[in-house]
Amino acid sequence: MLPADCSRRLVAELRDALDACAERQRQLERSLRVSRRLLRTWEPAETPAPQPTPAPETSGEAPSPESTPSSQDLKELELLTQALEKAVRVRKGISKTGERHKALSLKSGSAATSATTASAPSRPSGQASCRVSETKPPRGIQQTVVPARGLPESRLLSVGDRTRMGRGSRATKPGPGPRDQQIPPSAALQAPEAFTLKEKGADVDCWLPQPLWKPCSGLEGGSPQSAASLSTGFPDRILLRLPMAYRKAASRNSRLWAQLSSAQTSDSMDAAATAKTQFLQKMQMTSGGPGSGLSAAAVEAEVGLLRTACLLLRRRMEEVLSADPADCMQEYRCLLTLEGLQAITEQCLHRLQELRAAVVGRQLGPWPVGRRPGASLPCGGGTDPLWSPQLLLYSSTQELQTLEALRLRLAMLDQQIHLEKVLMAELLPLVGTQGPHWLALCRAVHSLLCEGGERFLTVLRDEPAD
Amino acid sequence: MGRRRRRVDRGAAVGALPKAIAALSRTLPAGPSPEIFRRAKFDRPEAAPALWQLLFRVLSPLSADGASASPAQGEPPSTEAQVRAVKSELRSQGYPRRALAQLPEDGSQGSRELLLALAWLLARGPLLERLLAQTRVRLGDEIPLCECEALARPGAPVPRVEADGPVDIRHLQWLMGKLRFQWRKLITSQQEQCALLGKIHSYTRGCHSDRSLGHLSVAETELLRDAEGGQQDTVLGTCPPEASQPTFVPRIPERGAGEWELVARELQALQEELRGAAEPRRAAWEARVGGWGPEWSAVQRASREAVGLELAALQRAWERGGAAAQPHGPCRLVKSDAGASGGPGLRAAQVIEVLRSREACLEAVLCQLQRQCRQELARLAGALPGLIWILPPGR
Repeated sequence: MLPADCSRRLVAELRDALDACAERQRQLERSLRVSRRLLRTWEPAETPAPQPTPAPETSGEAPSPESTPSSQDLKELELLTQALEKAVRVRKGISKTGERHKALSLKSGSAATSATTASAPSRPSGQASCRVSETKPPRGIQQTVVPARGLPESRLLSVGDRTRMGRGSRATKPGPGPRDQQIPPSAALQAPEAFTLKEKGADVDCWLPQPLWKPCSGLEGGSPQSAASLSTGFPDRILLRLPMAYRKAASRNSRLWAQLSSAQTSDSMDAAATAKTQFLQKMQMTSGGPGSGLSAAAVEAEVGLLRTACLLLRRRMEEVLSADPADCMQEYRCLLTLEGLQAITEQCLHRLQELRAAVVGRQLGPWPVGRRPGASLPCGGGTDPLWSPQLLLYSSTQELQTLEALRLRLAMLDQQIHLEKVLMAELLPLVGTQGPHWLALCRAVHSLLCEGGERFLTVLRDEPAD
Repeated sequence: MGRRRRRVDRGAAVGALPKAIAALSRTLPAGPSPEIFRRAKFDRPEAAPALWQLLFRVLSPLSADGASASPAQGEPPSTEAQVRAVKSELRSQGYPRRALAQLPEDGSQGSRELLLALAWLLARGPLLERLLAQTRVRLGDEIPLCECEALARPGAPVPRVEADGPVDIRHLQWLMGKLRFQWRKLITSQQEQCALLGKIHSYTRGCHSDRSLGHLSVAETELLRDAEGGQQDTVLGTCPPEASQPTFVPRIPERGAGEWELVARELQALQEELRGAAEPRRAAWEARVGGWGPEWSAVQRASREAVGLELAALQRAWERGGAAAQPHGPCRLVKSDAGASGGPGLRAAQVIEVLRSREACLEAVLCQLQRQCRQELARLAGALPGLIWILPPGR
């Protein structure tokens, strides 16, 4: 058993660490709930239509098997798509004028249904469409042809069924080759439906012909062309507008930020900066002491940095000392490295002395409990990034996952290092004093401190053989 | 009077000051009215409580020790608590004037001093901008790259009083194991979230009015969904105002002078070792090379430069200079296929590189600490003969 105060402190520390972890988990789960809810409408878990091939939509983990089209099918679909292309070109000319009107009327109409199987077949084709916006027209046609929800659901369901029965699948990851070829049949099947529906009446006509899928924003009210298209499988393919209030606020917001950053001309910034420094200096002088301008927080942080520096320098020194120089040049380099390390160490020591002098001279108050030293350090980044968040571009989900995993790992290492220091401070003294169950304690402490609690060593009594 | 600016044109100053104060009082949380500022200028006591409260509100998100001011707790802390918190926070930030520390704790005096403190805070750093940034609505999927903003942790409650009494070390081992397991769970949840985020980003491609972004974020997508459901009025309310995942940083126990001593000792020991290693080598080298010709000097210079670069890189690993290259503050995630090198914004690949180097640094630190422990334990265990210590395999 550990002494009471030591136990208390250690348990408190570990519980804090657990709380921090739990808090992260809570936030993460909150975000996960939101994301899952959003994705549910795109990848419905079950579809209302009877499916011969049940394809439950998980969040994309289990790709259903893709079937490869035969060459006969490919030929057929090529012909079909060419025919479609021609037809669309004709239609486009006719319906351009009425487009905007239809789009507007459609928006109110399509607001109701959120999850339909239209989303299902349209998604695979839609996904391919992201990639093919510049490529061959046939593919583009399919995108335009795949209609959104304005079409009566039953029609789409049947089309969807046929799609599924025929091809049986929606692979979750759109691979380039076989997928693209797989899509056209579904689109081709749907296309005639769409065309005929269009003939029948204006109220069923909710589909805006577009020769090529354009990744343009659904938010501008601008050109009729741009009003509609959206990418992959977003059910509201025709018109997607963020609410008016939001758009107004967002544009006003960005205008104001722009105004703000442009208003900071260099002249005014300089004047303000000079005034500020003068004020700060005056404050410093009237406080009755020269002061080094350092706060207790900054000092502690620097001391921590110097400790890290020491560790890294030592590691480099060990590397150099253990390396066996093969020739003169390497020997010389080793020598230079060691001397360089020595110089840096002296600099660090000097800095440490300076910090010590600052602390003593200013008689800084006791460290406030619970504060992490790095907190008040103004991070080198300046004020710009605070204006509007910078962009971080990532190209694939793997990249994003790597990035996030690294961030988590850094946080975990941070926590581990902190716990290590705390445990060292508390437990090593206990091992020093031999008490009852010393061996068990020693073994446990070794495991906690040296192996992160993951492995244990074995202790054997060395009994003299009789 | 927000800032004591020395203006060249007094005429302009007279007009601008009231406007500045009015703006300030609108912007600051719990903003006192301009009248309070005016009274404080004359050091009127009635202005003091409002200013104490203002300073408390302004400083508390920046300090981890919010003195029970966490939003979770319903009631605002007492005046004394606020006064103490403000004093301690200002002191730790390096506020130079001692007069502040001497103000009475009932918060009844010192309005002019408080005004000075406010001015000092405003002059030191982008206080208003930071406040605005904290309260603004986050529209994008943001990922914080820098730790310092993340310390807006609402005041952690005082360490709970463990009524448990002495515990067995096995309890500690159990807690450590639990922690390890939690981290693993966290990592898998995080990976799932990334996958979902990637999907949402690619599905909504082409929907955003801002071309440089190209796709919607989760918040914006939610806006859209809820707008369809007819909740257009509450749509703006769904945007999450709080920061998306502040990283929670463990507290460091009070060390004060102890840490300094420790580091000083370590550095001195290191210096001794280095001197012991370098001097004989230098002597030996000089002896060998003494008579060598001038063609050596060029080679020597090249080596010196190379070593210089290596050491500079090493120094950057711990100095803040290395971290400054990293942008500060949260970044909005944008999925972009091409990864066009021309556009603005960071590339994930670069950030990953930086994070990896930081990871290596931290791992080195942890390894070093563990090694120290091992040596220390070996020393202590060696005191007892007659035992064989078999280290765990796989190291």
